[in-house]
Amino acid sequence: MNKIQLIDTLPNVFQNRTDVVSDIWQKEVTFEKGRIYLVEANSGTGKSSLCSYIYGYRHDYQGKILFDGEDIRKYAVARWTEIRQKHFALLWQELRMFPELTAWENVDIKNKLTGYQTKEQILAWFEMLGITDKLNAKMGRMSFGQQQRVALIRALCQPFDFLFVDEPISHLDDTNAAIMGDIMTTEAKKQGAGIITTSIGKHIELPYDQVFNL
Amino acid sequence: MNLVWKLLRQHISIPQFVGFFFANLVGVVIILLGVQFYNDYQALDNEDSFMKADYLILNKKIGALSGLTGGQSSFTSDDIDELKAEPFVERLGAFTPSSFNVKARFDVEGFVSFSTEMFFESVPDDFVDVESEAWHYEEGSTDIPIILPKNYLDLYNFGYAQGKGLPKLSEGILGAMKLNIQIGGEGQQDEFDGRIVGFSSRLNTILVPESFMRWANGKYANAAAVKEPTRLIVEVNNPTDDRITSYLQDHDYETDEDKLDASKTTFILRVIVSIVMVVGVVISILSIYILMLSVFLLVQKNSTKLENLLLIGYSPAKVSFPYQALTVGLNVLVLILAVIIMCVVRNYYLDMFQNFFPDLEVPGITQALLVGICLLVIVSIFNIIAVYGKVMSIWKRKE
Repeated sequence: MNKIQLIDTLPNVFQNRTDVVSDIWQKEVTFEKGRIYLVEANSGTGKSSLCSYIYGYRHDYQGKILFDGEDIRKYAVARWTEIRQKHFALLWQELRMFPELTAWENVDIKNKLTGYQTKEQILAWFEMLGITDKLNAKMGRMSFGQQQRVALIRALCQPFDFLFVDEPISHLDDTNAAIMGDIMTTEAKKQGAGIITTSIGKHIELPYDQVFNL
Repeated sequence: MNLVWKLLRQHISIPQFVGFFFANLVGVVIILLGVQFYNDYQALDNEDSFMKADYLILNKKIGALSGLTGGQSSFTSDDIDELKAEPFVERLGAFTPSSFNVKARFDVEGFVSFSTEMFFESVPDDFVDVESEAWHYEEGSTDIPIILPKNYLDLYNFGYAQGKGLPKLSEGILGAMKLNIQIGGEGQQDEFDGRIVGFSSRLNTILVPESFMRWANGKYANAAAVKEPTRLIVEVNNPTDDRITSYLQDHDYETDEDKLDASKTTFILRVIVSIVMVVGVVISILSIYILMLSVFLLVQKNSTKLENLLLIGYSPAKVSFPYQALTVGLNVLVLILAVIIMCVVRNYYLDMFQNFFPDLEVPGITQALLVGICLLVIVSIFNIIAVYGKVMSIWKRKE
């Protein structure tokens, strides 16, 4: 997958509003593989909706979203599964971790599916992000900031053309944010992938190619 | 342990599944026992493997006068057409008597030698329940398959052999031996080998294949001498039908009364077994309903986990699998246990059967097993589809 295009896209809930001023909604926008984007947004401008449209689990929008020119509304279940395993990694704002499992298991459940990263690599990331001591801790017992770091590791346990991170550093200090940014860019560069990151204020410092205001 | 299973087994309610397990077990045991018992009973009732229980054999009453005048004891084609039109008649066939001379000799070397004049009769082949290969006559061949009345064997075994101190003969031994048969008429005489295919307790006649009869009547009998049938074989749809009895009375026909009674018993037993099996089916359906309810509840309780699994790239099939395996596994377990229970109960009642009929040959449990496996497959397919549908509704975010 080389590019994501949004053509005249608008969430259905906004369709009666006349005051939508945005670099993305109702515009023609292209995200390309290999480049780094920042989407800045205020609350309630549809940032999470954008994630869920592109990730194929909500379809309540008008206009078109195209992957390499193909309308994603036509994708079958199997195609989405393939995209989520091989082409598109997403770090949700709400993380979507499993509180019953340990930090390690939360990562492993994804890596078992894709078989993409080695155990050594995963452990090295835990080390870099300073959460090695939490490996066997239940996710539900960890702080949100710790969970955010585990969630990033999980997101990286797959091949991807695009990495979409939704407010990745909302609960992190600057040091950890910088480490996270470093890991993300290294991994993306290795795969030649694009990064789309969002923020509602504090944003992660990356060499952005383009900044959008949602 | 599989991490997906570790996640999805959360909220499994053991009491619900135990409840399903035993309820379904009761249902399946009843169904299997019903099938098996009916089959075993048939073996008991239907010692005669050549004639099904629903066949009636009709003849006209022979009165003092008709015996002298002759002719009237045979069925005219009008009689047959009239009977055919009756609603209780499924199929009808005529007995064709031989119009030639038959002489049979039977030698068991060193023991016994019989020689007798006799006759043959035939009925349409589809009334005879023998493999078509065994019940087949090749024109010009000297090999004739024959079904003898069981009475003949009983007469020999319990009368003749007993009195003369001769060994008793079983059906198996006789089946391996040959009858020497001489057929003559129209100035011809030929030798044949009679091969005993079996013994019938329902037919008081010596039965040969229809094809042989047609050929032999054509060759050894005077065409003018071919007679009208004196006996009919009728398949009825319900032997307990009152119309049969009244029809027979009205037309002065006779049938083997106790056979009618026997088929009544079979019919009633079939009704009872059917009712019992319906009860079993209802119990099973209700228990499967419980199972589906508890699986749906489980899916509901774990819907966030299921959704997250789908979102991190697990396919709906992979996510459905643990619950599908759980339900199918339970079904398999129920079937295995049900078959074991069925066999135990069956051994118990077969012991009783065997006290009455020492040489009873009962059928295997293949049919009951097949029924069980069919049920398992149907129910499992239903479960698999239902679970998948539920997971897909999470995929589509309908919940």
